[in-house]
This record gives sequence, C-alpha cells and structure tokens, in this order.
Amino acid sequence: MTRYPSSSVGMRQTKILLLATIVLLAVFLSGCPFGAAQVTGGWSGTAFRDGTIYAGTLQGAVVAINATTRSPQWPDPHRVTIPAEGLQCGPAAVAAPLYATPTVVGDVVYIGTYAGEVLALNTVARSQGLPFPQRGAGEWVEFLDGQAGNNAVVADLAVRDDLLYVSASDGRVYCLSRAFGDFVARSEVLDQRHRKLWTSPVIHNEAVYVSTFEGHIRALSADTLELLDWSFEADAGFASSPVIHDDILYVGSFDNRLYAVRIGDSDPLWTFRGGQWFWASPVVYEGVVYASCLDGRVYAIGAETGVELGRFNSGSPIVSSPVLMDDLLIVANEQGVVDVFDLSGGPESLEVPFRSITIGDKVRSSFSAHDGFVYIRGEDNHLYVVDIDEGRVVWDVPLDIEE
Amino acid sequence: MIAVWELIILEPILNVLIALSQILFGQFGLAIIALTVIVRLISWPLNKRQLKATKAMQDMQPKMQELQKKYGKNQQKLQQETMKLYKEAGVNPLGCLWPMLIQLPIWIALYQSIMRALAATPENLLNLHRHLYSWEIVHQAIPLSSRFLWLDLSRPDPYFILAIIVGGTMWVQQKMTTAPSVDPKQQSTARMMTVMMPFMFGILTLMFPSGLALFWAVSNVIGIVSQHVFAGGWGYLKLSSPFQPRS
Repeated sequence: MTRYPSSSVGMRQTKILLLATIVLLAVFLSGCPFGAAQVTGGWSGTAFRDGTIYAGTLQGAVVAINATTRSPQWPDPHRVTIPAEGLQCGPAAVAAPLYATPTVVGDVVYIGTYAGEVLALNTVARSQGLPFPQRGAGEWVEFLDGQAGNNAVVADLAVRDDLLYVSASDGRVYCLSRAFGDFVARSEVLDQRHRKLWTSPVIHNEAVYVSTFEGHIRALSADTLELLDWSFEADAGFASSPVIHDDILYVGSFDNRLYAVRIGDSDPLWTFRGGQWFWASPVVYEGVVYASCLDGRVYAIGAETGVELGRFNSGSPIVSSPVLMDDLLIVANEQGVVDVFDLSGGPESLEVPFRSITIGDKVRSSFSAHDGFVYIRGEDNHLYVVDIDEGRVVWDVPLDIEE
Repeated sequence: MIAVWELIILEPILNVLIALSQILFGQFGLAIIALTVIVRLISWPLNKRQLKATKAMQDMQPKMQELQKKYGKNQQKLQQETMKLYKEAGVNPLGCLWPMLIQLPIWIALYQSIMRALAATPENLLNLHRHLYSWEIVHQAIPLSSRFLWLDLSRPDPYFILAIIVGGTMWVQQKMTTAPSVDPKQQSTARMMTVMMPFMFGILTLMFPSGLALFWAVSNVIGIVSQHVFAGGWGYLKLSSPFQPRS
C-alpha cells in the first residue's frame, strides 16, 4: 500500500532527501578515500656518493645526509612546489612530488620533478646554504614546458658526457646541457596515445632507448633525438624502464611479461611471464637476469634463453629495482623486508636469502648500496641504513625539513 | 567494509570498464559511454518506476490545475484535495526521488572506477594492479589513454563545453521530472533544486576530471531520452516552457 505524505511530512521528506543527496555528493566527490587522483609525495630514492647519501623527500626537496655523522649537510634545502589542483581549502601551491632519484655527477646533483622542472644543485653551494640557484656554481632550474605543473618528470635522468636526457609527461625526450640547462634537442612525441613518458631513457652506443606505455621501444639519435630506423612493438604497454646488456634490452610490461629484445630485431628474443606487472627494471649479472615483480617474487632467468633458473617469493609486491653490490643481490619489498642473496653460488642461491631484514616501514623507492650498507628511503620519509653484515637497521634519520 | 565494497562493486565495474576500453578501439571515452548505458540498462527497473511516477504526475496536471483554481485561496483545503488526488491515482509525489537515491551508490562506484582506471598519477597507476582481474584483455589495455575528442579525461575541460552540456542536460532533465507543486514552499524548494543542481554540477565539471563529467553528461542524456520515450514527451519541461501559449 502506498503511503501519501501530508504536506508537512512531504516537506520534511524533501529536505531529508536533499540533505542525503548533498551528504552523498560530498562523500562522492571528496575522492580521498575512494581513489581519486592521488599524489602522495613521490617515491624518489637514494644515491650514494663520496660518503654522502642524496635523497628526494616527501616535501619536494633533495637532501644530503652525511653517512658518517648521520647529519644533514644542506642547511636549507631548495623545495619544489606545484600549483594545487581541484577544490582546495589549503594553500595554492603544495610540495611537488619527486619520483625520480637524484643523479650525482661530480659536484652536481640533478633531478627531475613532478612540477616539470629539472634542477641542478651544486653540493658545495647547498652545503653553504646559499640562495638557489648559484649560476656561477653550475646551478640552474629549467621548466620543460615553461610553466610549473605542466610537464611532469617521473623517471630518472640519463647522463651522457655533458648532456642530460629527460623523459617527460608530454611524451617527449628532452636533451639539456649539464652546464647551463640549455635545451639541446627535443624528440617528437614518442607515445601518441598516452602522450606521456614515465620511463627513463637509457643511453647505449650513441643512441637513446625509451620504452613507452603504447608498447614500443623507440631508438633515438643521442645527438639530435631524431628517431632511428629501428623500433620494437609489443602486445602490451611497457611498465618499466629498459636495461641494456650485451645489446639486449630487458624490459617489463603491463601484460605480466618480461621482454628480452635484441637491438635491431623485430621479434623478442624471449618473453617470460610472471604473476603480475614487472614494474621495476631488472638487473643482469653473469648471464642471468634478476627481475622483481609486483607478484612479490624475484625471478632468475637465463639472459639468452629466457629459462627460469630460480625464484624467491618475498610475500609482498616489489616496486623498487633490485640492486647489486659485488656478489650480493639486494631486494626490498613493499612491506619493507630487505632480502639479500649471495649470488656467488649461482642463480640457485636465489631460493634462500642470505639475510632478511625488516626495516619497519613500506618501501617503494629505489635504493642504493655501498660498502656493506643499504640506504633506503621509507614511505614515512625516513632514511634507513641497513648493515648487511649485522643484518639489521643500524640507524635511521627523518628527512623532514623544518618549516 | 571498504574491502567488501571494492570486491563486490568497485572491482567488477573497474575491470569491465577497462575491458570495454580495449574492445572499443582503446577509447576510454567510449568505454565510459558504454558502461553508463549498461548501468542504466541494469538499473532499468528502478528507472521505470521513476518514469511511471513522473508520467502519472504529468497526467494529473489538468486535475491539479482545476484544484488550484477551485481552492487557490484555501491552502489547507488545496493540500488535502491534492493528497486525495495523489491517493486516488496511486501516485507518491516523492516516488520519483527514491529510485534516484538508491542508484547513487552505483554512480559512486562508477565514478571511483573511472578515476582509478584513468590512473592520472604514478601512484594511481601503480595501485591499479591490486584491483585488476587476471584477464588478458584488461592487462593489455593498461595504461589507458585519457585522450577523447578534445578532452583529456583526467583533467577538467579547459573550453567549458562539457560544463555547459552537463549543466544544460541536467536542467532539462530536472525540468522534465520535477512536478509543479500546489504548496508554495515545496514549489520554491523544487524550483531552487532545478536551478541549483545543474549550476552546481556545471561548476564541478570545471573542477573535476572530464571523464567524470562525460559520465554525468551521458547519464543526463540517457535520462532525457528515456524520459521522453517512456514517459511520453517532454513532461514538465513542456508545461513550463516559455513558448507554451497562455490559456
């Protein structure tokens, strides 16, 4: 039986409905808990050079930590900001996420930012706390699109002699001079469908190789960034940046495959299927490819044959690339467990880790290793230093910068 | 709770959306349109009830006008007679609103799926793998292209075209379905809703990814077409048209 509202009840019901609609709309549009476009601060990793650890932070800055004294070396790190998007009640600009890991060449640290700029930071000038940029010291900042926030850089930079190569979110590769940040060359749009390049360029024999979301590997002249004759096309988009070893490119795809492609060939040398995307770039060591996968496993695969030689299940997705230190293979999974494998016994030693260390925080960043220590930036914006011999975190330091 | 929501509602919609994108020539915009149509078809029983209520209210209009003439000066009597009329016709004047509210969770899931599938940021792209089925077609479609016509579906439309379409179609739809009330207060609320909602959504279109706005626009257009076809014409839009000859 249908109930009929009296005028006042009808009015009240209308108001309730109106209120419910507004509340639901507010939840619906707030986006935060329901997966709207989300930028958390990036997963910039660490680079170790001459006793200093360089890392991108969640506050859009590059910091330098002295590995001996464990103290910050740069008193006032330069912070990158980006215009806030959407409905904002807060500031008009927020910290720009850093996804790329700092690249250190000599006294200069280079990094690309989500704000679409490339920075050159002189370690001496930063240690002295001088205003940025000190052009006389080789410092500069260059927007790839002339305006903040328009052409995000997500991938690591590549260096060749005096030149820097940058993949950008307009689908192009840019070549800049290291000295002044001048534009030397710019490629055409390499991914017409997505118009974004989030994988790093790789330099090999005077050519630049880039994998695209469209599923192509493009080869460009390193001098002019013009397309070379050879390219490769896969059935699905590429998730990882390529690694080149003995003229063979190894690259992970979104159809859960790792591709091995000999430069110049149109067919893959082999493909290897994992249980999820191969998001991170693999490493190659003594004829074996070690590839970490979002299915939580590390696979050892014959570099020429594509045959599986061993595997290890870390139990959690692996976002960051494995790192080699002498005979040791170091893998960090998303749950913050660092597994170390002694490869001197061959790929079979991948079955059981030589060390398994929990750092206590999530890891998505790429990390570095030097002289028995592993330097990892956790998702809590702390730098964790793991001593492999001792099998534990020996110290950690927050990377937060005081306001 | 969130895990259940994701497992039962969000992930099926997300995966179907991505698979549709691969089938429809890699065009995510077409996938949004197709999925909006599919969701409308699935929710047809609810829509049908809503349309029926609207149609019945439309048919009652001549009688309502008669009551207005007869009891225009006595509001209380007018309301009583109006309620009596509703009862005789078996119509609940709010009946057309409840189906809309029940459908909102589906629209929320659709919105979330669009946002997740577009994976506009590196985090979104990386997190997407957790929600994908092992279907080959889904993995081959990733990452989706956000380009469709003049739009970047992950960003607001810079040319205001979509905002005008969303606001305009929503206004038309509201006008078609909002029954005039004899109660001046209700009439005033209804009038405010008819203007405010399209205006609000028009503004939101300028702020939110155009993939979402495309879904709103398509949803509105489907609503208008089904209203026109199944409820017989332009409904209250025609009744309140400024081109309607005055009696």
